[in-house]
Amino acid sequence: MVASGTGTQLAIGCEDGSVKIFQVVPGGIQFERNLDRRKGRVLCLSWHRSGTHIVAGSIDFFRVIDVASGQTVQRIMVNHQVEKAKRECVVWAIALLSSGTVVSADSFGRVQFWDWEQGTLAESHTVSTSAALSLAVSEKEDSIVVGTSTGATYQLQLLPVKLGGLEKCWVRTKPFQFHSHDVRAVAHSSTALISGGLDAQLVIRPLMEKVQKKGYDAVLRKFTFPHRRLVSCARKARLLLFQFSQYLELWRLGSTEETGKDGEVLPPCRMPEHLVQLKSKGPEHIYCSCVSPCGTWVGYSTASRFQLYRVRCDGDGVSLRKVPKVPKLLPPAYQLQFSADSESLFVASARGSVHVFQLLEPGGCKHLHTLQPPSGCSEAVYLLAPSADGHWLAAVSGDWAIHIYNLKCFQHHCVVPAYSCAVSALAIHPSTNNLVIAYSDQQLFEFSIPEKQYTSWSRAVQSRGLHRTWLERDSPITHITFNPKNPAHILLHDTYLLCILDKSLPLPDDSTLLMNQSTLKQLPETARKRQLHAFKICKKFQPLLFMDLLDENCLVVVERPIMDFKTQLPLAVQQKKFGT
Amino acid sequence: KSLLNSAIRTQSTSQYLLCASGDFVKVYSVNTEETLRLMGGHADLVTGIQLNPHNHMQLYSSSLDGTIKLWDFMDGIPIKVLLLLVSDRFFFLWSDTFQLVSVKLTKGAGQDLESKELSVVLDGVGASVKHIAFGREGAYVVSVKDVTLQVYFFKRKLLNRFSLSTVKTKGGDNRFSCVVCHPTEDCIATGHADGKIRLWRNFHHRKEYTYSTLHWHHDIVMDLAFSVEGTRLLSGGVESVLVQWHNESSCQKDFLPRLGSPIEYISMSSDGALCCTLHTDNRITIINSNLRFSRSIQGLIKSRDVKTGLVVDPRTKALVLNGEPGHLQFYSLQSDQQLFSLDIVQRQYIHQAGLKQSDLVKVAFSAQGTWLATVEESEEVTDPELQLKLWFYSEETQSFTLNTRINTPHDNHITDMCFRDMDELGDDSLILVTTGRDCVFKVWVMVEDTDPEGKSAHESVSWSCDFVGSYHNYQATNCCFSEDGSLLAVSFEETVTVWDSLTWDLKCTFCHPPGNIRNICFGRLTCSKYLIGATDYGFLCCWNLLTCALEWSAHLNIVVLQPDPLSEHIAAVSWLSKESSLFVFKPNEPRPLYIQRNLCKEKILLAAFVPRDEPETISSEKYLWLRKSQLFFLTDTQELMTLSTKSLEERLTPSSKQLAVEESLPVTPFSLLLGKHRHQQAQEDTDLGKPVVHNKQEQASPAVKELLHTPAHVLPSASFLCTIFINSLLISKENKSAEEVADEVEMESEKADGDSDEEDVTVMEQEDTSPMELLGEMTCKLSKSQEKELRKIRKMDYSWIAAF
Repeated sequence: MVASGTGTQLAIGCEDGSVKIFQVVPGGIQFERNLDRRKGRVLCLSWHRSGTHIVAGSIDFFRVIDVASGQTVQRIMVNHQVEKAKRECVVWAIALLSSGTVVSADSFGRVQFWDWEQGTLAESHTVSTSAALSLAVSEKEDSIVVGTSTGATYQLQLLPVKLGGLEKCWVRTKPFQFHSHDVRAVAHSSTALISGGLDAQLVIRPLMEKVQKKGYDAVLRKFTFPHRRLVSCARKARLLLFQFSQYLELWRLGSTEETGKDGEVLPPCRMPEHLVQLKSKGPEHIYCSCVSPCGTWVGYSTASRFQLYRVRCDGDGVSLRKVPKVPKLLPPAYQLQFSADSESLFVASARGSVHVFQLLEPGGCKHLHTLQPPSGCSEAVYLLAPSADGHWLAAVSGDWAIHIYNLKCFQHHCVVPAYSCAVSALAIHPSTNNLVIAYSDQQLFEFSIPEKQYTSWSRAVQSRGLHRTWLERDSPITHITFNPKNPAHILLHDTYLLCILDKSLPLPDDSTLLMNQSTLKQLPETARKRQLHAFKICKKFQPLLFMDLLDENCLVVVERPIMDFKTQLPLAVQQKKFGT
Repeated sequence: KSLLNSAIRTQSTSQYLLCASGDFVKVYSVNTEETLRLMGGHADLVTGIQLNPHNHMQLYSSSLDGTIKLWDFMDGIPIKVLLLLVSDRFFFLWSDTFQLVSVKLTKGAGQDLESKELSVVLDGVGASVKHIAFGREGAYVVSVKDVTLQVYFFKRKLLNRFSLSTVKTKGGDNRFSCVVCHPTEDCIATGHADGKIRLWRNFHHRKEYTYSTLHWHHDIVMDLAFSVEGTRLLSGGVESVLVQWHNESSCQKDFLPRLGSPIEYISMSSDGALCCTLHTDNRITIINSNLRFSRSIQGLIKSRDVKTGLVVDPRTKALVLNGEPGHLQFYSLQSDQQLFSLDIVQRQYIHQAGLKQSDLVKVAFSAQGTWLATVEESEEVTDPELQLKLWFYSEETQSFTLNTRINTPHDNHITDMCFRDMDELGDDSLILVTTGRDCVFKVWVMVEDTDPEGKSAHESVSWSCDFVGSYHNYQATNCCFSEDGSLLAVSFEETVTVWDSLTWDLKCTFCHPPGNIRNICFGRLTCSKYLIGATDYGFLCCWNLLTCALEWSAHLNIVVLQPDPLSEHIAAVSWLSKESSLFVFKPNEPRPLYIQRNLCKEKILLAAFVPRDEPETISSEKYLWLRKSQLFFLTDTQELMTLSTKSLEERLTPSSKQLAVEESLPVTPFSLLLGKHRHQQAQEDTDLGKPVVHNKQEQASPAVKELLHTPAHVLPSASFLCTIFINSLLISKENKSAEEVADEVEMESEKADGDSDEEDVTVMEQEDTSPMELLGEMTCKLSKSQEKELRKIRKMDYSWIAAF
């Protein structure tokens, strides 16, 4: 399925060999017509920039279709050279350049350049011994990135044959091997090559020659986990809800009665217990989920439906009952959040709106109110943070604006001053009602809701600047929580570290060591005092999915070892490696 | 003094292969593998050769002597000599940094030109020719050094410098090893120390340059070459595999494996039909364009380390030494080619650094060459795995077959080995002696096998140990049999012991402290009562075996002591203050017969006397000791040298020169028609051409020089010398007339004047000219009668010189 350059039309290739054109209308799509149907499944499509032609790749051939007439103008066999092999050649990816050149990537590992008008092969590059699966062209059409089934991506560049000359040819230049499995999707931004593969990784590889200055863009980034909260915790009931792509799992935490020193593993007196697995119906992926703090409500949402369940624990048995007559939401939730007293549910929705539901005993719910920014908003809300006293709610929409609502009177309270970066996590302090915001560029802000301004600590942080090592980290903060015992403590975590931010301590400057916990341990008590700074970082748990404070002396940390899902991956393409 | 085949850089057309070898440029025929011409004239090492891009029959060569010469290699005539004030064409040395300079080729009419117009193009370039390449149509020049690539565009005067990271990760090593440019496109190919090949494009942008990588080699890429069209790229390295990459794609590549030894250089012929690879063992392989092995030109194999010494095979008179790893090469000196290679170790050799492999360390032949003893040991220092093998020459197969294998003959390294040389007594008296660092020497004899199944006489014998001797628990270092085989001398550190070979009794000991004995040998023929020894502390001693006393000793740091098997002469090579000197003496006289100081700058490690097929007529009294055999030296850079009494040009047979003329004609029906006519003409041409080619004449008569350089107190009376002096003047005048015709006189005289060491120069000149009868026929006929007379006079008069 590919949209045309103007975004007004949508072309869909089908298994039966037909290509259907849909008109994009406000609020949906509308079938327009069928283009010329030929035998052979359509595997890939590409629009010409002008929207006049579509090229469709199939097995052993691809064809160029004139959109206006709907007729096939050219049908080109890609399998001519390798007739002896008798293997079918699957065109996995295709691109139609504005010059009229068709670029095809096929299962023989070739990237071929065709003149579609003549139907002739201009260039052929065998980039890999295994299949070339994906293809993306840069905006200027002078560079192509190809993903292959061995996990390697290659860049092809249009370079002059003679310096300063007009004649140009495509040259395979940089190979990158960052994936272990198929590279299913690639994208070409102006400064980076982006690839995603079957090994559940997203890799952003900067093109150093295009990057102007050293910064976030100039570093290779690898993402394994989504920058979203996939685990929610019922603090009072000590339950954890894990969100998987097709199902939810509810676990009861184990506990121990013993105490020990740092580094010891205590024997649990009660083992953690898998209570229930909740499968979502249909093929859709679960988009968001949440468990209420009391542990009696579980809600989740897919792309089309929103579901709410009532959990009853009687003795050892756990029963789940679907809450009937949940108000239909269109579109469904982008984020779910229960209030601290578990009496209401906040549903983040499109156009900057947040729906407030009242939860009723023994198992019902009622739509109370819909909160909306006064100026209106086109983007959906993706993060919610209710205050512990039930007074405030902070909501972040896709345009990165943070709106704060008063829940007592269901009114818009204020907007946090705009910052040119995405919000990755936010939370409201239970005692001071200060909103702590973490941005994706690793900046931290504290905003006082009652006073509608940044706190003095936040200003101090901004004037002083955060530590360089902190700013150069890879992954954004995904969750923020607080220590009720010590209001100066803010607990943060990302995929690789867990941090206790102590506002009462001085901020570190660039000359000091940011991660100094191990060195502090070796120092005597008096010297340690002088070395202390605000960031107390622990990197013991990696990759870290979730961290929350259950009660005053109990912290729950969810770690997901990479090997857990690496072992579930299918076998990688066999490659002979020299020296093995 | 001649150098045999230490090739440096090759350039080839489809018919001729040009190769810089030592001070010379060699021209080989591609079709016959024959050396067509040896172009000498450079006074020092030739560092680079390049075909003239405008005329493929011309060649530029550069040398460390600071000149660039333009040759017409068809005739072997230097066309122009360009004198650079500094050292080299491409580079000159300035405190460890090399610079690339451009030289304007002046269009002067004269032959010798001096160029002062030098302009520095690039600073800090790599020292090797492989580190510099010129781009398409000479638009830019590329140089690599360490991890930096420099491109200089001549027109835009733009210098771009690209650096790779110096960090060595995962066995990666980004240092450049070689660079070549695409002939038609703007693409640079570089080889790297970790085996990668990078293809650079867009390098006129400082930032948006890009490269792709080809990786097959597991170790350093030694050289690269593009085909003429640029569609194929050849690469080679230590794997001994030539890799052909198509269209710069890493997926399409062809291999030519098993080339024998690591590839050092790759060169394409100018028409693209052939390519050739030069290997580290001094071999050139010619390869077809479809990557098929065509033929190879093999000189003396350069092995990693000559441990066996120079040994002469008594049967073939070939020089025998380490060849390929684990092999023994038989190298024919007459034809400058390898006769055959004998696999001694019989194990697969793996090209990998740090791997301990067995190699051949000692070799000895029996007097008639029927038995060959070899010792091999693994490279481990502490526990060498030793094997002594005895080989018998079988007449049927015309090669050596293994007779006995003895594992661990000694507990430590074997230091020396010799056979008892007794021609008249036959095989039964054959004795082999080995000395080891385990402080013993062992005597090995043949025993008859008790097994009746043995068929032939030699299959039924095997070797076993007969006697083990030691002396005060000293390490045995050398052993030597006297000429009649009755005495065995074994040196134990500081002491030489003499043993009776029948009863194995210790007869007497000799000692000349301080210092260990380095070499020992017995005198021969009339001097067989003498034993010669050289010590570490620089003494050459001669002991009389009859009186058991020191006859004489001399203070000389002798590194090589080599007796001539056919005469009493012993050659000793000393190494003093960075130069090697040669002394030839007879043991019964403490005064040397012949001294050649400053033989060469390199250290001479080994020497051997090779018997001549027939005694040569040597006119000069000074070289009489070379009459029966020829002396060869091997230096530490593995160059083989010899003292020659002939000029180099004469070594090449005239037939090969005719061949060159024939081959230069393209074969067309018309040329075939004209063939007969041309053949006659060509013969006339060569007849006429000869005197011109060979005109290298002497400056002054040897007799005059002899007269002037002999110390006054040993000269006979003046009246006695007068006739010789006058006679010699007469002869040299005859020669002068012929000399005036020659073109090269100026050059020759210049060379002579420039050289400071006058004594040596005279010797060299003399070598060039002494065999008069082989010069052009016309001069020969004219002076034959006079020459006879002269020889008579010389023989008579020079007898007094023999007294020295």
